[in-house]
Amino acid sequence: MDLNYTIEDVAFRKQVRGWLEQNLPRQIKDLEDRKVWHRKLYEAGYLGMGWPKEYGGQGARPMEQAIVADEMARAGAPAPTNGLGVGIVGPTIVVHGTDAQKRRYLRKILTAEEMWCQLYSEPNAGSDLAALRTAAEDKGDHFQVNGQKIWTSGGAIADWGLLLARTDPSVAKHKGISCFLIDMRQPGVDVRPLKQITGSSEFCEVFMTSARVEKENLIGRLGEGWGIAQTTLGYERGGRALARITSYASQYNHLMNAARRLKRNGRPILDDAVTRQKLGRIWADLEVERYAALRVLTMLERGEHPGASGSLTKLSYSEFEKRFMELAEEILGPYGQLTDGVPAEYRLEVDTAVGDHGTWAYAFLWSRAGTIYAGSSEIQKNVIGERILGLPKESRADRVGGTR
Amino acid sequence: MNFSFSEDQTLLRNSVRAALDEQCKPAHVRAMMEDDRGYGEALWSEMAKLGWLGLPFAEEQGGAGLGMVELALVLEEMGRAAYPGPYFASVVLAGLGLQAGGSAAQKEKWLPAIASGQARGTAALLEDSLDWDPAATAATAAKTGAGWTLNGVKRFVPWAHVADVALVPARAPEGVSLFLVDPRAAGVTLTPMVGIDLTTRWSEMRLDDAAVPADALMGPASEAGPVLADLLRRAAVGASAEMLGAARRCLDMSVGYAKVREQFGQLIGSFQAIRHRCAEMLVEVEKAHAAVYYAAWALGAGAEDAAMAASVCKSFVSEAARQVCGDAIQVHGGIGFTWEYDLHLYFKRAKALEPLYGDAAYHRELLVRGITTSA
Repeated sequence: MDLNYTIEDVAFRKQVRGWLEQNLPRQIKDLEDRKVWHRKLYEAGYLGMGWPKEYGGQGARPMEQAIVADEMARAGAPAPTNGLGVGIVGPTIVVHGTDAQKRRYLRKILTAEEMWCQLYSEPNAGSDLAALRTAAEDKGDHFQVNGQKIWTSGGAIADWGLLLARTDPSVAKHKGISCFLIDMRQPGVDVRPLKQITGSSEFCEVFMTSARVEKENLIGRLGEGWGIAQTTLGYERGGRALARITSYASQYNHLMNAARRLKRNGRPILDDAVTRQKLGRIWADLEVERYAALRVLTMLERGEHPGASGSLTKLSYSEFEKRFMELAEEILGPYGQLTDGVPAEYRLEVDTAVGDHGTWAYAFLWSRAGTIYAGSSEIQKNVIGERILGLPKESRADRVGGTR
Repeated sequence: MNFSFSEDQTLLRNSVRAALDEQCKPAHVRAMMEDDRGYGEALWSEMAKLGWLGLPFAEEQGGAGLGMVELALVLEEMGRAAYPGPYFASVVLAGLGLQAGGSAAQKEKWLPAIASGQARGTAALLEDSLDWDPAATAATAAKTGAGWTLNGVKRFVPWAHVADVALVPARAPEGVSLFLVDPRAAGVTLTPMVGIDLTTRWSEMRLDDAAVPADALMGPASEAGPVLADLLRRAAVGASAEMLGAARRCLDMSVGYAKVREQFGQLIGSFQAIRHRCAEMLVEVEKAHAAVYYAAWALGAGAEDAAMAASVCKSFVSEAARQVCGDAIQVHGGIGFTWEYDLHLYFKRAKALEPLYGDAAYHRELLVRGITTSA
């Protein structure tokens, strides 16, 4: 056990920090600016780092990826774009795609020349994703897709989508699903922004009406879609493990400054014993998240796949974020709810990745999403209970039979 | 960066666990709960032979020269077994205290004796007010011709009734100082303080004009503060390691029970109400593991954030262990509330350690002070 960074990692961090100091964009106004920044990161070798070299990546170690993301968080650098493409679609194609698919799609994901979204959730298939009803019918020379998707991140800017659709309604629900690549820029695909409680629209609804998928755009074999999605859902390289903590710590410093300034009963809130206890607890929780992240990185560095234990990480930090933001709101009072006209002392500069200006109000509202997306806290607890602790599965009515 | 145990550390953990599984079964724990002295000499000698009693001491003092991480590994296993005995008091409180603040002669006298199991030690860190801040010490030390005279009342002194030496903070004219006191000496009166956890034994230690020789003073008079602050941190992390072990035991027992207990015609572990609670317990236990071993490493390596890490550790693990051990009783239902079932041994062990060496609130305040003074 040695929790010091190696000499190589310290040197690498210094190199990344130096590069960011030289290259950090002053302002990101729109998607085009963000794509330019994305390509700059890619050309510097700081994006798609975990991808194999033969597909345009760096074959970098998990720690190097974590350091880059961490230094970006430290510098307050804007996020690159095409996160789902680089983080999920690309790796899925690397593992399950044909040579032709790899040649056609991978490089353009890395360069953000083609933007990707993930078409998984449906109005009636959220936590129970395998209940999805969007159908892909074999029309001989192509598949015809009909159905509705929801919670599609970046749907409005996507050129392509990674689609889960039902190809065989007669078998058990997990077995009748296939995975496709679908062209989002076609008449049969209608994308509508979904306005969230934040007032912004990071997500979309996608309606597919007789949309076309070419035969060569099936990933894996027919009926293998569920298994492919499972490996994708479990795909957590820990790249954001440190960066997440660094962002929280920077927000925590902002909050401490506000607590010095704001008063209650004639005294700074920071002198209030009850508030100090709450601040101390959140700091301890934050540090424990950092220690846990170092433990996950150790596992990744040894080439071990975190598997179901990724559920421990996700459950823990998403629940932490809610507690943290609740405390921020408590300390900031109505300042914490401002979406406009925020006095400089109570601003929170966060990059929302959609070009909006970040505020405490946005961060607070957004914290409610973390315990729902990518498997709700309840689903994570099921995974932990069944796959890590080996507790018996509950009896379920949907393990047998078809969907219609 | 490597947060996993080395091969040697894993071997140590396995050998400690194997020895305690064999010689510190619940039946042994229960027998010692009824015992006047509260611990078994046979296991004590075995621990000396295995090198556990001198684990963190230098080799020239009969120790194994190992670090805080190794010590935490042993203590986690002791919590897991609810080991009844003066290991923590002797090795952590007296041993590490002497190592940090003792003179060469004091170390020479006591550390080899503690390492060999011939002597046992403790430290009297609490008084009536329960304030862990060494500056709050009310006991007094007056200089006499031959040495010092101590007066005051110490509370919750662990295993003082079997100790040969106790580290006792007292206020000398110069300031708070540390003395080595023989708990059986004239002027020292011990009265048992019996808590709910019978694997931990406490005494009230009354000092009525207790005379100690001049060489009983540890370090220069008035300079006990830094030694005590360091000792408190190490004790806080050590106690956290024991709580982690107790919590893991409670989690294991709960998961095991949920896999065999049936109600409504089903295993209770198939109910989300139980499964989710067990999942939450695992999250707490794994985070407590990270907190304990990060802090142990930081203290051992003299890391910049060692003091903060110790407070993060104690504040987090105190409450995590409380939650997990309490939830274990809930998962078990009625059987978990019986004396006959072993769960309460671990529940009470964790509870006994929760307020010691600073409770969660104490350490959270230290954290906020640390953050605001460094900013």
